[in-house]
Amino acid sequence: MKKKSNILTVTKKEIARFVGDKRMIMMILLPAVMIYVMYSFMGSAFTNLFSVDDEYSPIAYTVNLPRPFIPMLEATGLEIIEASDRDVIQIKEYISKKQGELLLVFPENFIEIINDYNVQTSMVPAPNVEIYFNSSDINSAGAFNNIILILDNYEASLVNKFDINRGILNADLVTADDLSASIMSMMMPMLLLMFLYSGCASLAPESIAGEKERGTLATLLVTPLKRSELAIGKILSLGLLSLLSGFVTALATILSLPKLMGDAAEFMDTGIYNATDYLLLACVILSTVLLLVTLISIMSAFAKTVKETTAVVTPLMIVIMLIGLSGMFSSTVPDSLYFLIPLYGSVQSMSGIFSMSYSTINIALSCAGNLLLAFIGAFVLTKMFNSEKVMFSK
Amino acid sequence: MGVILQAEGLSKTFRLSAKQQKLQKTKEKVIKAVDDLSFEANEGEIFGLLGPNGAGKTTTLRILATLIKADSGEATIDGASIRTQPEIVRSKIGFLTSELKLEDFFTPNYLFDFFAKLHHIDAAKSSQRKEELFKKFGVDEFAEVKVSNLSTGMKQKASLVISIVHDPNIIIFDEPTNGLDVLTAKVVTDFLIELREQGKTIIVSTHIFSLVEKICDRVGIIINGKMAVCDTLKSLVSDKPLEDVFFDIYSQEVGDTL
Ligand SMILES: Nc1ncnc2c1ncn2[C@@H]1O[C@H](COP(=O)(O)OP(=O)(O)OP(=O)(O)O)[C@@H](O)[C@H]1O
Ligand SMILES: [Mg+2]
Repeated sequence: MKKKSNILTVTKKEIARFVGDKRMIMMILLPAVMIYVMYSFMGSAFTNLFSVDDEYSPIAYTVNLPRPFIPMLEATGLEIIEASDRDVIQIKEYISKKQGELLLVFPENFIEIINDYNVQTSMVPAPNVEIYFNSSDINSAGAFNNIILILDNYEASLVNKFDINRGILNADLVTADDLSASIMSMMMPMLLLMFLYSGCASLAPESIAGEKERGTLATLLVTPLKRSELAIGKILSLGLLSLLSGFVTALATILSLPKLMGDAAEFMDTGIYNATDYLLLACVILSTVLLLVTLISIMSAFAKTVKETTAVVTPLMIVIMLIGLSGMFSSTVPDSLYFLIPLYGSVQSMSGIFSMSYSTINIALSCAGNLLLAFIGAFVLTKMFNSEKVMFSK
Repeated sequence: MGVILQAEGLSKTFRLSAKQQKLQKTKEKVIKAVDDLSFEANEGEIFGLLGPNGAGKTTTLRILATLIKADSGEATIDGASIRTQPEIVRSKIGFLTSELKLEDFFTPNYLFDFFAKLHHIDAAKSSQRKEELFKKFGVDEFAEVKVSNLSTGMKQKASLVISIVHDPNIIIFDEPTNGLDVLTAKVVTDFLIELREQGKTIIVSTHIFSLVEKICDRVGIIINGKMAVCDTLKSLVSDKPLEDVFFDIYSQEVGDTL
């Protein structure tokens, strides 16, 4: 007589155990709350750091400033204070103390000199303009950039052989979508992998090492429940809950991004992806979660206590962080075969999906790699549940 | 009334970690917990494994329940081998020991249903059995209270009820009255006698002589992992009380007088 499998019974019990436990729910929600609070804090700190006060007009000290430049400088919002050669040392000190933003030192009769100057025939070096600023002062650095631009344009107009982009303001033809895609493909794979990992790592030790420690796993082992059913049931329920936890954390991140990045968050537009992109992403995430849960479960089964698991799991965490980082900094798409490498393939696939340049085959390969290892892992976990050394060592 | 449980030459050696060596005050790297142990239990009897602390009672019962594997030897329970058919063995026995805990987080009611499902018992049958057993042991009074909030006695009752969810023919209880007050202990021993009347076979381990004298049909005295004597209670206590019989055997086995 073929008996109904008990996988579902175990899965349901595991889910009931976590969903009804306030402490575990807290553990699932905690990262999400922390991310929101942290981003809000960091966001306001960033805004204070980088925002330029509109009312404020930076002061430019000038020596021998030629008349034609005055309206050009004023147009950039600079307040001009004419000084003499003798004040230069004093003014430099002001700027390094952030009491002034710029110092421009022109040679006397600058305009006449450059009009007379001939690059080909002149025996003396070209006239020199000195500009001093303070890069740690955002107002000073901004003013410096403006001045360079103005002087550069002026110089170009003197020997005008050809122009670049004259009168064209939006030469960069990047679309908002492309920008979104490249930001997302850089950040999201790493973030998602970390969220999924932290979801798994907060649940599996409790469910496996915890049950072992408290002697409740042994109670299951004296029933006709198959060890494979126990292993698969645990993996499925933990996978589902980790997905949920990862999803909540990802949602918190997306919701709090505007707080962190201000207007820049507009570039993180998730609307640019279509249903196929999301479907493939779901496949990658699902296979990744199953693998992560299996790996962490095996490690928790080795540990005698929940506390001990933290130590056992650390190497895995480091490997996963490195793999996540590898996706962040690699710019070329690796060979198809590399997608078969579990977790590494996930990161590359996610990166590809987010940058909207992927091949479905590579994604399928990465899912297959993950699932294969997860499958082997489930087999190992079954063996471990069967091993009295692992289950009952004192 | 045939033999329903047969154990042949069971042996089990544990490797001791440095910590355990210190704890047990021994220099030995290994400890022979069960040593070439054989015995039989007949259908419908209560068989008592009697022995001092550390004699190997719990280890023997865990081997029979297939939680751990014997290094050598074999046992068959109702025709199923503990070596080759552990799953069948598990479905035939009810096993209760203080090391097996119920999950704190659930109620006895939930756990009963859960374990019934693991034993593939259909819903109607299991709910009828739950009602009976919960009433008999007073579990119905705390059926909806989480295990974490139960007293030791309540937990023991819940564990007992859940260990026989599937109405097994062979029941293996390790120190069934340990840690219980006299009232609860009596409920348990009365129940064991009732189970025998239903034709079930019961194996209990204990170091309490009075319990053996009250309920056991046959007794195996186990010392240092070896079966010293195995006989009916009647013939063992024919001329002196069980306690004296035990001391005689103990000094013979260990080689010193108490
Ligand atoms: N997992 C284990 N690892 C190492 N030694 C063990 C293990 N389990 C039992 N032992 C040792 O085996 C011996 C027999 O233990 P066992 O628990 O079977 O005795 P017992 O008869 O049940 O004693 P008690 O009356 O104290 O329950 C003891 O010396 C014990 O320390
Ligand atoms: Mg014992």
